[in-house]
Amino acid sequence: MLAKYVARRILASIVVVLGVTLITLILMDRTRGAYVPGIDFNPSLRPEDVARLRADLGLDRPFYVWYLSWIWGVLHGDFGHSMIDGSTVTSHILDRLPNTLELTVTAILIGMVFAIPVGVIGALRRGSKTDHALTVVSVAGFAVPQFWMGLMLILIFSVTLEQHGLPWLPSSGAFSPFNGGDILDRLQHLILPATVLSFFYVSTWSRFIRSSMLEVLSQDYIRTARAKGMSERRVVYLHGLRNALIPLITLVGLELPGLVSGGLVVEVVFGWPGIGKLAFERAIQYDYSTVMGVTFFAALLVIAGNLIADVLYGVLDPRIRFG
Amino acid sequence: MSRDDDAKGFEQFERFLEEWSRRDFLKRTGGAAAYLTFLAGGLEFLEACAGGGGTTSGTAKKGGHVVEGNFSDIRTLNSMLSSDTASNQVIGLMFDGLLNYKKDGSLIPQLASDLPKTSSDGLTYTFKLRSGIKWSDGQPLTSDDVKFTYALAQDPAYKEVSSPRRGDLSKYIKSIDTPDAQTVVFTMTQVFAPFLSAHGRYGILPKHVLGTLDAKAINTADFNTAPSVCNGAFKFVKWDKGAQVTMARNDSYWQGAPYLDQWIYKVLPDSVAVTNQLKTGEIDIGPIDPGQYDALNGVNTITRSEFPVPIFTFYAYQLDPNKPAGPLFQDKTVRQALLYALNRQQVVTAVFFGHASVANSVEPPTSWAYKDKPQVIYDFNKSKAESMLDAAGWAKGSDGIRAKGGMKLKFNMITNAGNKQRESMLEVMQQSWKDIGVDATPSLIQFPQLVSQIVSIRTFDMFLVGFNFAEDPDQSQLWHSRNTAAGGFNGFDFKNDQVDQVLDQAVGTLDRSKRKDLYGQFQDLMSDLVPAPILLFNHGIWGVSNRVQGTDFGPFNQFEPRPWNHNVWVTDGK
Repeated sequence: MLAKYVARRILASIVVVLGVTLITLILMDRTRGAYVPGIDFNPSLRPEDVARLRADLGLDRPFYVWYLSWIWGVLHGDFGHSMIDGSTVTSHILDRLPNTLELTVTAILIGMVFAIPVGVIGALRRGSKTDHALTVVSVAGFAVPQFWMGLMLILIFSVTLEQHGLPWLPSSGAFSPFNGGDILDRLQHLILPATVLSFFYVSTWSRFIRSSMLEVLSQDYIRTARAKGMSERRVVYLHGLRNALIPLITLVGLELPGLVSGGLVVEVVFGWPGIGKLAFERAIQYDYSTVMGVTFFAALLVIAGNLIADVLYGVLDPRIRFG
Repeated sequence: MSRDDDAKGFEQFERFLEEWSRRDFLKRTGGAAAYLTFLAGGLEFLEACAGGGGTTSGTAKKGGHVVEGNFSDIRTLNSMLSSDTASNQVIGLMFDGLLNYKKDGSLIPQLASDLPKTSSDGLTYTFKLRSGIKWSDGQPLTSDDVKFTYALAQDPAYKEVSSPRRGDLSKYIKSIDTPDAQTVVFTMTQVFAPFLSAHGRYGILPKHVLGTLDAKAINTADFNTAPSVCNGAFKFVKWDKGAQVTMARNDSYWQGAPYLDQWIYKVLPDSVAVTNQLKTGEIDIGPIDPGQYDALNGVNTITRSEFPVPIFTFYAYQLDPNKPAGPLFQDKTVRQALLYALNRQQVVTAVFFGHASVANSVEPPTSWAYKDKPQVIYDFNKSKAESMLDAAGWAKGSDGIRAKGGMKLKFNMITNAGNKQRESMLEVMQQSWKDIGVDATPSLIQFPQLVSQIVSIRTFDMFLVGFNFAEDPDQSQLWHSRNTAAGGFNGFDFKNDQVDQVLDQAVGTLDRSKRKDLYGQFQDLMSDLVPAPILLFNHGIWGVSNRVQGTDFGPFNQFEPRPWNHNVWVTDGK
């Protein structure tokens, strides 16, 4: 049953990938105008040079022709070369993937470590001052834009601390330019961006865990467990939390593409050399091939994330059947 | 630059404190470690006080590194494919050309032993290479390498190489000959005065590495992202995409090994980050945005230098009479009056915080052909603007807007969204013109659409944009009537026979005094016709850490190959 279900989902996802990439291409193509990727708007260039470079990139052809040849390449495992710098799109993505994973995996782990206790405490002490305080912080986590929080942290922990001669944190990049790159150096660079990114996760997830926990705690089997004289600890953690965490699987599963692109804003603000920043920079420069490559990759991850979450659901919750 | 020993000791102590707080922050938060470090630093401090210090800060030292920050990543390290400033700048650290610019734009020989000999008809340039120049792998650099480099954008056999330079090079170069290993002769199809300054500086590429590839393969060669051999002051080490390019000392550099062990080009998110990191010392060198200038006031670890550059902002009137707004601007009185109505000094103060200069001429003040007082100078004069429009028959209607023959002086102005300076300038123009009864509405569009408007669609009433002039005073790309063709930059349809003639004559002679005279006439004409007034010329501002010595930024030594890279050194040797 499960195999058939997965196969059907994968077939359906082909349509999704085609749709997402086609829409991405149309959006880029319709807004590009006379702009040629990789060519600065520079009067020292002759019109014939600009026209020739456009043709070299295949941009003199209609977008669907470009799309078909792109698909043909992808089917052969070739994502093409960047229109900006001529390197392969695959090398761009692979170069930056480790940096992005370093940031997002850290942020997701921090997010889970904090979100679960915060959510459980909120549910157990529903309506208390602690609960209200945690709610305020969570709402702030939704409401405060990541770029603003990032800039504030840079201002406080890099610039201001440095001005007062105190120990400070680096404000951009994933490692020191000179002699950097050891674990300690990378950790220092990781603190600020990971804080911003995980703050968002903690806020979102803790709210879900809180409400899911409240729901579970009002279930009959919890009352039964309590009636049997089970300790409150066992009730909450063994019977309550385990069931309350099921929705979290969807949330974290949905964050799988976020592993790659979720840090876009944070990566841009902190100059983090990751995939989100790559996508952002190349979208602005109309680097079709790189943007399409990243989009394809992200679409696959969305689908995979959803699928994994669904399958795990079935494993964890026997009431769910695949059909 | 000599200081007494006390001051030096103090400086060293301060640097120690700074270092202590900067480096290994986590490692040293432990009290014991911090204490030990302090002791070690204290000893250093005492030693310095005792006057045991070695070199004075005026003598160049070997060793150390600099981190240069900028907000664009490079695109390619192949000099014949590159068209962006970031790439050109980094290429300049690793590849020398035949010639280079001094900071004022005058040409100096680099790989060539002297400026080339020019034949009396102006049609051949003969370059002699310096003797004994070697690639970083020990191979000799010869005239074959020079010929190969230029052939990539000139020889029809290489027409599949995606070089932005092919248009000019294939048009003007007839042949490249190499009578011997040290001599290169360029034969031109016609006299073209800007040739040397426009095309004499491309980093020379190694034929022994790239020569075996076919034309298509050159576009995607590994060399473009990780050059295996170089001929410049530094050698390529690593490009962490989106983060930095690391380069190391080239010991076989023809001017002798540079002082620095490493030069690092670091990519930053934006101009605010450049300023912040200059402050924190994370970068040593970086370009400063005018809006960020004051943020560095009182930061005594950074020295700023500021100079005018040939980067400008201009707005263009729609001059094609067949376009909706075309008829408004056919009369030069209207064009002149609108310019008189603008208080450009105020724009410089309010938008550029004083770090720009009002343009009096189409040629930049940095040019050798610059005429500081062309025929007409447009000092802010509102009443003059109004009386000019009155006299030309543009009378104010009941709604306060001027009109003539049923045509209202009303139009749209476009620029690209996201460029704060340009957005502010449109607002100033709207207000200033409203004051004299002209209804101009700003509208912001995305950059690609602005490009399309200028080079192809051309339905705009007026656009505002910025460009960068080259060192040579030739401005045909912007003003010559042949560039009104699709794709050309004369998108505002300015056609004037006299201007065309002067421009053609001025590129057709190598006699500089003759050219200067012609460009004088050109500037007079343009000041009278004002088809697309240049509002102001920008200033370049660079911040350099005090530990870095030997930089010499100027109008033509900013984002391009700089002849002094190998002379840069750091006082602390780190």
